[in-house]
Amino acid sequence: MKNIIAFVLSVALGVLMVLSLTNNDWFAQFGYADLTDRVSQSYIDKSVTGTPGEIIFGVTSNPEDGAANIVTSIVVDYRSFDTLGEVTVLFISALGVALLLSSEDKNKRLQLNFKPNFMLRVGSRALFSIILMTGVYVILHGHLTPGGGFPGGTMIASSILLLYLADDQFRAKVKGFKLLEGVAGSFYVVIGLLGLLVASYFLQNFLPTGTVGDLFSAGIIPIVYILIGLKVGSEIAGIIDNFLTEEEVSL
Amino acid sequence: MSSLAVLLIAIPLLAAFVSILSKKIAPYLLLAVSLVNVLLLFYFVPNGIVVIGGYDLPYGINLFVDAFSRIGLGVVNVLFLIVVLLNIVEFKKFSSILLVALAGLNGLLLTGDLFNLFVFLEVAGIAAYLITTSNKKPLATFRYLIIGSVGSSLYLFGLIILYGMFGTLNLMDMVSFIQANNVEASALVLPATLMFIGLGVEAKLLPFNSWVKGVLKDSNTLSGPMIAAVYAATISFVFGRIINNLLSLAFVGNLLIVVLVLLAVGIFIAEAMAFSSTKVREILLYSSIAQASIVVLLFVNGIVLWAVYLIIANALSKTVMFLVANKAAKDHGSDESESLQGIFSKNILVGITFSVATLSVMGLPLFFGFVVKLNYLTELALGAQWAILAVILISSIIEGIYFVRMLIKLWYPEKNEVNVTFDLRFKVVFVAIALILLALGTYTAPLNTLDNSIDTIAEVIDNG
Amino acid sequence: MIQYAAIILIVFGLYGLLSNHNIVKMIISLNIIEIGLNIFIISVGFVYDGIAPILTSTNSSSALLYVDPLPQALVLTAIVIGVGTTALGLALAKKIHSKYGTFELDEMGDNE
Repeated sequence: MKNIIAFVLSVALGVLMVLSLTNNDWFAQFGYADLTDRVSQSYIDKSVTGTPGEIIFGVTSNPEDGAANIVTSIVVDYRSFDTLGEVTVLFISALGVALLLSSEDKNKRLQLNFKPNFMLRVGSRALFSIILMTGVYVILHGHLTPGGGFPGGTMIASSILLLYLADDQFRAKVKGFKLLEGVAGSFYVVIGLLGLLVASYFLQNFLPTGTVGDLFSAGIIPIVYILIGLKVGSEIAGIIDNFLTEEEVSL
Repeated sequence: MSSLAVLLIAIPLLAAFVSILSKKIAPYLLLAVSLVNVLLLFYFVPNGIVVIGGYDLPYGINLFVDAFSRIGLGVVNVLFLIVVLLNIVEFKKFSSILLVALAGLNGLLLTGDLFNLFVFLEVAGIAAYLITTSNKKPLATFRYLIIGSVGSSLYLFGLIILYGMFGTLNLMDMVSFIQANNVEASALVLPATLMFIGLGVEAKLLPFNSWVKGVLKDSNTLSGPMIAAVYAATISFVFGRIINNLLSLAFVGNLLIVVLVLLAVGIFIAEAMAFSSTKVREILLYSSIAQASIVVLLFVNGIVLWAVYLIIANALSKTVMFLVANKAAKDHGSDESESLQGIFSKNILVGITFSVATLSVMGLPLFFGFVVKLNYLTELALGAQWAILAVILISSIIEGIYFVRMLIKLWYPEKNEVNVTFDLRFKVVFVAIALILLALGTYTAPLNTLDNSIDTIAEVIDNG
Repeated sequence: MIQYAAIILIVFGLYGLLSNHNIVKMIISLNIIEIGLNIFIISVGFVYDGIAPILTSTNSSSALLYVDPLPQALVLTAIVIGVGTTALGLALAKKIHSKYGTFELDEMGDNE
């Protein structure tokens, strides 16, 4: 009986949403959004604080933002405060998992039914380095190609997950991860405060932004992405470690 | 320097990231940062718009400091400091989480951008879930997590529909666009409803408040006042800002009637449930739900000033009441009114302050609650809202009955001995808050210096 | 159309959340709601014949027709927030299992 009420309620909600959106004159039709009506056009033209004209890859130098990947420029430069909040959400989730699942005594690995063999253990170490390098590449080129700190950091964490799954006695150095996490996070806020001191706005892009398309361009964006990548990687690795250990029961 | 308001958010965040490096200094950092925040707020932060990143709105994010935010920030930061001071010795493990909670609460009150509000809502929300884990009831925390996440997702859905319609994410920009182009209210019904539901989950409105009972009925001296007073005040302030500027453009005609009926029913059911329960913490939490619904009702009717004062009165009273109830429950083992009989005959000072707080919530003369109640009932009568007036009056009568019944039980001892002690720090806090409630109840001149225009967003939009 | 698919996913997730009594299934339903929401957000920014908003050596000018980059940035944030919430939910599920021995809400009678 309860299931029928839930079904009717959910379907009614869905129908209501669809009807309301199709009858709405103001809601842009799918595919026909006009970017000049929205704030996004200024992000594409990099014309928020000035009018530099057309931005050309490899030619324009020192525009206000400098990243060739426009989504990166929104995430780390124009709306950097949201990214700070997002980094905080991940931080506090990792902290919460550690609070709930860790114990003060010595921990050992969770006993699973699967026993890995020698080939798996050796092969995973080779694969680990490849995944790690891919993650680092994605982080460093966040302002030129899709990706950036968040996917790159997750790739680094997944390489550590591979090591955990392939070897049932492996435990990473959790203290090192905590240190990395705290230091990377504080550096992000310190960069923001430096912007406040040097350029009078919190989180302002105060380094020169170079030519659009170079590796060393876009001011503080690559630095921030490296910090975010390290932070995300160490946090998710910490979460993995918390889930895959249990208390050592002394006999 | 006009950007000092950012420090209210940046310093707690920095302290939180640093505090996990060393477990020993974390509590001291928490105390120091809370103190710094209060000092910054009262002495250094000026009014105005703070632009972040050097990009002017609506392309960048901005913070908005005016009388409305100032009052909210003052209440929340001071109460946070008080709760932390009383609990720091016992709950050392929660220092980093409390620092992030402080940053999230300040961010919620200051921001002027709707997506930034969603991000800080999640920051403060996850910190709240973690604070409630101190109750050692994982199932109640899990329910809170699920309902809170669904609420935030619905808020985001409403926000994205608004972005699809108007192309901007900034509150002031969106409101000025809607007013300039005379968008009809029927186009705004769906996103306004979704945002109302999303924020209403956290603000304890019916029927989205099934998490409140599980979380607050087993609370302790940290999670009780924090969730019921500090978080409730913050969410009410945020809700007030959004309703007053954005949602009121959509709440006309039939939708307004539906919203008012929903809120009135919520008040009734909450008071009825408080009437029928015998545990002190349950009575308090149902009373909090009813008062939260009354605050939202006042905001929907445009009575901004007295809604703000009601939030302050409730936050102060509920801090005292929850602290007393939680400490009693911890020392005695249960909070049934039957088993706590006569607790105040041994702790007379605490009993007097608890009674002052209760009488203020009920709205008896001489106390702050009475002044607030009188004024908002007058405003409702001036607006010819007779049905709402009747609902609030009837619920006040029910409220009076169960509070007096609870007070009588707690003052007059029966056979069993109740041994609950409150040490000096608690007593100092209780006396201070009781004095404030008494002072504002008798000397009401400073209250009348402000008026409904403390929320200055509409003014800023009109001036261009 | 993709927006219909996104709303259908949200409806599925809501139904799953309301009718399931298993804690892990409730977390999965929450994830389905968030996936539907993210697809909807991206679909708000789509422009026919638009290209990805990245300046490269082939698409080297900012005057071409791009899809809207802002919803993509919003989705980045929303996905990460969803991950954080799911991690916390699963940790709570592990704690609930070690306290009650089961994941079914019906069998956890005593302390609802």
